[in-house]
Amino acid sequence: MTAVAASIPPQWYLLLATAVFCIGLFGVLTRNDALYFLMSVELMMNAANINFVAFALYYGDLTGQVFALFVIALAAAEVAIGIGIILVLYRNFGVTDVTVPTEMRW
Amino acid sequence: MIDVFSYVPAIVLLPFFSFLVALGVGKHLPKGGAFGGIAATAGSFLLSLWVLATVAGGEAANRTLYTWADAGGIGPTDIELSFGILIDPLSALMLVIVTLVALLVHVFSLGYMNDEGETGLPRYYAGLGLFSASMLGFVVADNLLMAFMFFELVGLCSYLLIGFHFREPGPPSAAKKAFLVTRFGDYFFLIGVVAVLATFGTAQFAGEGSFPALAEAALNGSGSVAWTPGGVELQTWLTVVGLLVLGGVVGKSAQFPLHTWLPDAMEGPTPVSALIHAATMVAAGVYLVARMYGFYALSPTALAIIAFIGGFTALFAATMGLVKDELKQVLAYSTISQYGYMMLALGAGGYVAAVFHLTTHAFFKALLFLGAGAVIIAMHHNEDMWDMGGLKSKMPVTYYTFLAGSLALAGIFPFAGFWSKDEILYEALVHGLNDPLLLGGYLMGLLAVPVTAFYTFRMVFLTFHGEPRSATARDPEPVRWNVKGPLTVLGVLAVVTGFINMVPVQKVLGVEGIDLLHLWLDNHWGGIDGLSSHHYADIGPYSSGYLVGGEVGTVLVGAAVSLGLALGGLLVAWRLYNVPSPTEHTAKLGGIKDVLYNNYYLDELQVWLAYRTEDVAGGANTFDQGIIDGVVNGVSSVSLFGGSRVRRLQSGVVSQYATLLTLGLVALLLALGVSGGWFL
Amino acid sequence: MMIEALIGFTFVAALLVLLAPDEWAGRLAFAFSLLPFAGALYLWSGFDGAGNALTGGDIAYATQIEWLEVGGRTVSWFVGVDGISLPLVVLTTFLVPLAIVSAWTPIDARQSQFYGLMLFMEANLLGVFTALDFFLWFVFWEAVLVPMYFLIGVWGGPRRKYAAIKFFVYTNAASLLMFIGFMSLTFALGDTQSFALPEITQAIASGGLETWFGISPDRIAMIAFVAMFAGFAVKVPIVPVHTWLPDAHVEAPTPVSVLLAGVLLKMGTYALLRFNFTMLPDQASALAVPIAAIAVISVIYGAMLALAQKDLKRIVAYSSVSSMGYVILGLVVFTEYGVGGATFQMVAHGLISGLMFMAVGVIYNATHTRMVGDMSGMADRMPVAVGILVAGAFGYMGLPLMAGFAGEFFIFVGSFSAPALPYAPLFTALAMFGIVIVAGYLLSAMQSTLFGPFELETDYEVGPAPFHDVAPLAVLLVAIIVLGVAPDIFFEMIRDAALPVVEGVTING
Repeated sequence: MTAVAASIPPQWYLLLATAVFCIGLFGVLTRNDALYFLMSVELMMNAANINFVAFALYYGDLTGQVFALFVIALAAAEVAIGIGIILVLYRNFGVTDVTVPTEMRW
Repeated sequence: MIDVFSYVPAIVLLPFFSFLVALGVGKHLPKGGAFGGIAATAGSFLLSLWVLATVAGGEAANRTLYTWADAGGIGPTDIELSFGILIDPLSALMLVIVTLVALLVHVFSLGYMNDEGETGLPRYYAGLGLFSASMLGFVVADNLLMAFMFFELVGLCSYLLIGFHFREPGPPSAAKKAFLVTRFGDYFFLIGVVAVLATFGTAQFAGEGSFPALAEAALNGSGSVAWTPGGVELQTWLTVVGLLVLGGVVGKSAQFPLHTWLPDAMEGPTPVSALIHAATMVAAGVYLVARMYGFYALSPTALAIIAFIGGFTALFAATMGLVKDELKQVLAYSTISQYGYMMLALGAGGYVAAVFHLTTHAFFKALLFLGAGAVIIAMHHNEDMWDMGGLKSKMPVTYYTFLAGSLALAGIFPFAGFWSKDEILYEALVHGLNDPLLLGGYLMGLLAVPVTAFYTFRMVFLTFHGEPRSATARDPEPVRWNVKGPLTVLGVLAVVTGFINMVPVQKVLGVEGIDLLHLWLDNHWGGIDGLSSHHYADIGPYSSGYLVGGEVGTVLVGAAVSLGLALGGLLVAWRLYNVPSPTEHTAKLGGIKDVLYNNYYLDELQVWLAYRTEDVAGGANTFDQGIIDGVVNGVSSVSLFGGSRVRRLQSGVVSQYATLLTLGLVALLLALGVSGGWFL
Repeated sequence: MMIEALIGFTFVAALLVLLAPDEWAGRLAFAFSLLPFAGALYLWSGFDGAGNALTGGDIAYATQIEWLEVGGRTVSWFVGVDGISLPLVVLTTFLVPLAIVSAWTPIDARQSQFYGLMLFMEANLLGVFTALDFFLWFVFWEAVLVPMYFLIGVWGGPRRKYAAIKFFVYTNAASLLMFIGFMSLTFALGDTQSFALPEITQAIASGGLETWFGISPDRIAMIAFVAMFAGFAVKVPIVPVHTWLPDAHVEAPTPVSVLLAGVLLKMGTYALLRFNFTMLPDQASALAVPIAAIAVISVIYGAMLALAQKDLKRIVAYSSVSSMGYVILGLVVFTEYGVGGATFQMVAHGLISGLMFMAVGVIYNATHTRMVGDMSGMADRMPVAVGILVAGAFGYMGLPLMAGFAGEFFIFVGSFSAPALPYAPLFTALAMFGIVIVAGYLLSAMQSTLFGPFELETDYEVGPAPFHDVAPLAVLLVAIIVLGVAPDIFFEMIRDAALPVVEGVTING
């Protein structure tokens, strides 16, 4: 398994990560629903994770993998908070559309 | 041996203490502090007499008493600024005049102010005390700076006293005008003081290192001055400095064109007018020129200008006195005119003549004002001469003393004014025969003689002769001893003062020693070197020319002409106004009457100037608020406006933030990439 | 340790007053403020300084303790006084108690905070005048703005917010400019390892400026001079950066105006003297003509503006601009009488403008209007207060034997023949014309408000001012006269400290 993974040149991992990140970014920029937002952000974070793991493999260094673990833990926390925010949003505005609440603008 | 000169400061300080006492506890004193003032001025008068006697005994003093500020003898402007006393024949004489008049005015005020039930008497007596103190400080000053300081204080006191009746609209306005106009003159005086200090490093009047002595030495090449402005010749610069100081003189002595404050100053209580006109403020200007005459004598141009201003003012003011209806107004213009004579004398090299006229004028003008004050008391403060008439029989003391003063003012033989005015005209004539500009001054002075006699006796006849023209004139209020006493003293003085200096008699009859004032001011009995009339004549630019008959002939012709003109003026006045019910003859003057009545519209001109200054100030204010502050507020508005635009980025829409974030990141990457050369 | 005690006590007093109940905060603050004054008098009595603190003279009551290190330079707690700063310290401690008493009548809300801020400001002002380390000085300099902002913004008139913000932003922006100027100097002084002002001054005087970032020492000095001049000019204020002043004065309550005109403006001229004219005399001398021109314009223009005003406070405010012009003229001529007179004029103007603002405040307390057209004949109702106001006004006009004349006259004597300033006589004569205009507007304003028949529309009886309103006026008037009769009280030490400044300049041509 490791050998297979290591035999793939790192560019491909980078390409994959870029693709996932861009998908996530596209989601954030185009969707208005907060839940989609959350999912898209998750995608972008995991794109970073792919990079971490890929480079860890490439350099034979475990630090990247440790970082990926941290990010996953962080993402879990983020989802918890994010969903909390969305719930409050829904309670206050009746929608999960992020363009509706504009209380914090000038 | 008691050193009397160490008591000279007391002459100044006594009235100052009376000022403090009147101001502090005057309310609780009888007569509002009047007795304090009388005691103080009497003390000063006695001390002054003692000083005069000591000076006559051949002593003089030139002492620095107090260092006001000092540069410490180091640095580029090492100038010591100090106070001191200079007691020589001139200042000793002036001390006596000032203290005497001040004393009499204090006494007279008992009648004019206390008996008339005026309020604010402590303030009045405080003002009188400070006024006397300031003037006396000015008289004894040993340097120009000290003189300037007390000169200004005199201005302050005149403000306070002219504006004494501050609850009425007129007096505060007149007070303001008096202070402002004289301040305008003092502005030049101040430059002059600073220039003297800068040029000579000292402002002392007398002694080896005094500025007139230094200037004299520098001009004849035996010395040099500390500083002159680059590129200006010494002679020119000295003239400029002299003229700058003269600015203050013109202001205070009410010479053309800064004379306009003086007639307005009649708003003050009449005793104050007497003090201002006879012995203090107005006299200060002329006294200053006499004090530093050693400096002016060095500059022919300055002298000529002084003479011309003086002669012109003498005539100019006299013409305005012709048509006035109010007693004090006539006197006011006569004051301006008489000080013009003194300036003419100073400019013409007649130092003694000027001091002589200053002396005689002090007495007869104080007399006339106090007499006018007595008439005003009698008339219940109505000053219009057309409401008077026939007061001669009702108030004989006032009438005869007033008449003596009028004869002196008109220059009728043998009253005081005749002698002094004659000497002025004589000096102007003999020196003017070699100097056309001076001769012009002389002619104007001569022309003013009949005019003076005319308006003086118009005033006398309208006030005292004929039939009473109003109810109050038929039944005037009686005056008491405190009015009659000062009048009598001054009446006597107005008759006899002339005899201290009978130069014409001496020249014609050859009797030696009756020109007392000449001898006095020539340090005959002692004095300070360099401050004698002889010295001034030596350094002055004038030489004498004579008419037919040499000196004696000129004296006789001059005296005869001026006396004849004076009598002529008197006779015209007699014909026109010494009738039971006189009428105004001014209508015959036609348009000239309006011009004279409105003082040649000079007041209007000055008011116009004041308004234009206010306009400029208003313009400056608009500029300041609009442009300068506008820029400041503009910066703030631009910032606020910019902020209000930029903050629209904060739309509250999270997606837009994300978009901006992304675009920003991309732009940053691109910029870094381009500058890092990734795409090459 | 005296100066530390002085400043420290004032801070503590500020704190205590802040915590005191409103009812007796005013009395307490007055009692506390007498102690700094006594301390200042003690400093004065034992003053043993000589020469100028910055140029290596003996500094009295000096303490120098290392504090921290910033960018390789030591910052120290370095305080001390010389002949220039001591009179200003005395002035500050003298004016504050009087200002506090003058606040008793008009300040009727949040008294403890008001008086606490007043004392807090006094402490910082004392710091400004005694600090000899730039860092320390700058902390005090900026800290003065804070209480002032609140004093105007909370207790001020109807447009107080505008005035307070304008004051704060304007002077703070100017501080920034000044800070940049001074910092560029220190950066170019490579060898100097501290922010101590004497060290920096002496390093510059001995040619310690180096090329920095390719800019030549001369140019750096000139840039620093201009930046600092512009910065301090706002504080003074000099035309054309003066417009915050009338707004601040008009809106500020009386006691705050007293301190603003009496002491805060002097911070600007004091700093100009210390930084621009003592540290960089040659640059000042090179720019003598434009600076003198600005000074003369300030005098005349300020006076003309005062002439156009209808609000008594605005009149006095603009005339402050005019008076400060004299100070600048005195500084730029580099003569003993000039620099000494300028310093003397700072003290004299502090007293006189304080008196004027206080007197106007007393009238305002009774009339609730300051507009010239709204009242007349006030002398009838409040004779003592009006009498002192008239005396003060004459002091402002430069009446001899009052402090203002001494200051102005020294400046004129010093500047008329000054070798450092081309066309000096002309500049001096022009500036002197201010004494005519000042007489014009003060006399006109007095005539229409104080004299004539009494007129004022009120629904209550206008009576004489209470004793505690008039007493500070009388005290100030006495001080002004004493200083005018015997200017040597201060002038002797000022002159001693001013001389090294004068000697520091090289006169070209």
